[in-house]
Amino acid sequence: MSLRTSISPPAVAQPPIQDAPSRHHMWQRISPYIYIGPAVVYLIIFMIVPVVQGIQLSFTKTPLVKPDGGTGVGLENYSRLLSSPQFYNSLGATILYTAATVIFAVAIGAGSALLLNQAFKGRTIVRAIITFPWAVPTVATALIFSWIFNRSDGVLNEVVGVLGVGQQGWLVDPKFGMAAVVLTSVWKVMPLVMLVVLASLQSIPSELYEATRMDGAGALETFKAVTWPHIAPTVRVVTLLMTIWSIRRFEIIYLLTGGGPVDTTNTLVVNVYRQAFSNQELGRAAAIGALGLVLSLLVTVVYFMMERRNAAKEA
Amino acid sequence: MTTQEAPPITQSAPHKRRLKAPGNRSFSKPARYVMLAALVLFSGFPLYWMLNTALSEDSELYGQAQGWWPHWERLADFGDLIGSVPIFKWLTNSVVIAGGTTLLSLIFAVLAGYALSRFKFYGKGAAGFLLFATQMLPEALLVVPIYALFASLGLLNGMGGLILANVAFTMPVSVWIIKGAIDAIPYEIEEAAAVDGCPRVTILSLVLTPLILPSIAAAAVINFFDGWNEFLLAKTFIAERDLWPASVGLASFIGQYLTSLNSVMAAALLFTLPALIFFLLVQRRIVSGLTAGSVKG
Repeated sequence: MSLRTSISPPAVAQPPIQDAPSRHHMWQRISPYIYIGPAVVYLIIFMIVPVVQGIQLSFTKTPLVKPDGGTGVGLENYSRLLSSPQFYNSLGATILYTAATVIFAVAIGAGSALLLNQAFKGRTIVRAIITFPWAVPTVATALIFSWIFNRSDGVLNEVVGVLGVGQQGWLVDPKFGMAAVVLTSVWKVMPLVMLVVLASLQSIPSELYEATRMDGAGALETFKAVTWPHIAPTVRVVTLLMTIWSIRRFEIIYLLTGGGPVDTTNTLVVNVYRQAFSNQELGRAAAIGALGLVLSLLVTVVYFMMERRNAAKEA
Repeated sequence: MTTQEAPPITQSAPHKRRLKAPGNRSFSKPARYVMLAALVLFSGFPLYWMLNTALSEDSELYGQAQGWWPHWERLADFGDLIGSVPIFKWLTNSVVIAGGTTLLSLIFAVLAGYALSRFKFYGKGAAGFLLFATQMLPEALLVVPIYALFASLGLLNGMGGLILANVAFTMPVSVWIIKGAIDAIPYEIEEAAAVDGCPRVTILSLVLTPLILPSIAAAAVINFFDGWNEFLLAKTFIAERDLWPASVGLASFIGQYLTSLNSVMAAALLFTLPALIFFLLVQRRIVSGLTAGSVKG
């Protein structure tokens, strides 16, 4: 015990005892790097280097067939993007998709959590059914929904047909493409909101409810005084996660509409992919990706600023 | 504390449950049931429809209304159900890719989690930030430069390259899960082993690892299903049909109707079931792991 404290510098709290001080002293200083090293080096190779390369790529004109041989074009990719209506359309689609998905997913997810926090018969089964979509692989999700939305044989048209509405091309009509994609995404991600908010609800001490009930508070007042303040931080965090994940969601959109109909669901990530692998313009794709990254970062920064303000208000 | 909690199994436990359950009564009873029914329909119907489509007759699918009830008898002839979809080959590929991703990711994660939990060292904050920040990066931004990198290294069109790329995306969360698990183990246990002159690697692998096995298992499941579900990288890197994982294989049927859709759905069901089952087993841990990893940093 005392040996450890005398060997270790004060900052090193925990390394175990070793005898033969001098040799082991050095060894002790290296060894954390041996453990953390592989992960860090790996992430640098496969994450940091690609990000840097991606940004470099965005200043070049690089064809897909020769990914390592591009010619520098300076800011051309960016200036072309920022002056093309197609880019703003893509940006708009991203914002619309993200806002709609996040709002519905958080509202329905939090609402479900409130419902499921009450006792009723069959609660376990209902919770399982509501949670299932989250575990369904994305490709399977897209497969199911593309069939449900199918124009000529899909069940959705069968149902609206009963209501007297004619067949609609849910995935091919510009009026409905975005709605279909949002609906599918909400179906898939809402359970996570539900689970996280439910966990937070279940951590509210029942004494708090008891106290407000004794004060004669109604359901709405109880919600405002006890429930909401307790779950609000969780709801904010899950909203941030949903936002970041929605900005970068690719599979559902790409598989259902491929960015169409008429580019109405051509979000930035789908746009990146199409530029790179359909138009074979890696440079321009990277430029769109870089701007998308800026958008994600912006959201995160805004979130942390809001959190700080909230913390300041509470203090 | 103990005096209150120990005896009253008869009194306090049901009392507590009764109070906890109706915690908020924001909704009236009939309204609550209507909303629950709507939710169950919304969440449950698409899955039911996948099953129903998989178990439908070819003749039902096109041109006329699909029946509302599955033809269970079709389960009897399973080979027929799958039809010409080479799903078993693709599922095998998925197992290899997901398994490789899990194994590699966990090796890095156990080592890094141990370092982050048990050492203080220069650059620890930076390493933590790297592990946190890389989770923020969109796959679609990275896929282009990783594609370029792999093209120059000859790693395209192979499962090995795909595993390497997957690990970069799944490993950070695992590190946080493992670190959290090691944090929760009292240090005295390792200390005892260290006094006996046990080298640190041995302590980690023989003392610590068995103790955090539940967390390792949870991280393994999360990794496995990240690898299992992954589509974008696989679709981009692997052109050869025989090397496709099930995600890419099944996606190739979307929007094309040469292969009968009931076969495709039956194959998709096979692809989905393991995910559902494993998910139910580790649901709680996934939720806490996700939020702990991506939020707290």
